[in-house]
Amino acid sequence: MVVRRKRRTFQRRKVCRFCVDSELKIDYKDSKTLRYFITERGKIVPRRISGNCAKHQRVLTTAIKRARQIALLPYTTVHTV
Amino acid sequence: MRKYETFFIIDPDLTEEAYTLTSEKLKGVVTANGGAVLTYVPWGKKKMAYPVKKRNQGLYILMEYGGGPKLVAELERNMRLDERVLKFITVKLDDRFDPNKEESREIVTPAAFEEDESIEENEGGDIIDEYGAGTEAGLEDEEIEQK
Repeated sequence: MVVRRKRRTFQRRKVCRFCVDSELKIDYKDSKTLRYFITERGKIVPRRISGNCAKHQRVLTTAIKRARQIALLPYTTVHTV
Repeated sequence: MRKYETFFIIDPDLTEEAYTLTSEKLKGVVTANGGAVLTYVPWGKKKMAYPVKKRNQGLYILMEYGGGPKLVAELERNMRLDERVLKFITVKLDDRFDPNKEESREIVTPAAFEEDESIEENEGGDIIDEYGAGTEAGLEDEEIEQK
């Protein structure tokens, strides 16, 4: 018991931002919102970090990938041509 | 009929005249193939996340229209041929669309773009926009490399 509790000290229940706020829509053209969910390197933040639910994570992933296609979000930080 | 939107980037350095010509041409492609243009909204010049055809900026335009799948193929073919169009993406918004029932909606330009435009007007060409931390770091990297 004791060991278990020590491990869990800084765990906090994460909630899906999109479930909480139904006003918040996922749109590939809205790069400001999407930027929350990519790392500095441009990778998509995993669900276990961001706390998104499965449904919204799926939608978000497609949105980010679309945004990358149209050059709103980077694929990576260093784009060597 | 289906409802589609095409979000595309055209060359920002075009003259006013060339820009109108391109717009008219693309709209013409839609109408010529039995479609109807619903909205055609320029979102303004914006720094792209990565260079496209050796350009760092692009003029983003969002066009919504109704039409069939063949129209999309034709429009994309035209965009591919046209050198003024840098990039495009087409998304289906609705499977069914009735042009007669189309209600008039207000045209929304998102805040993200308006802000960018104002910055560009103030400082001109190469500036780092107010992006998230991610891209800023990336841009700095690029600049260092160039030096």
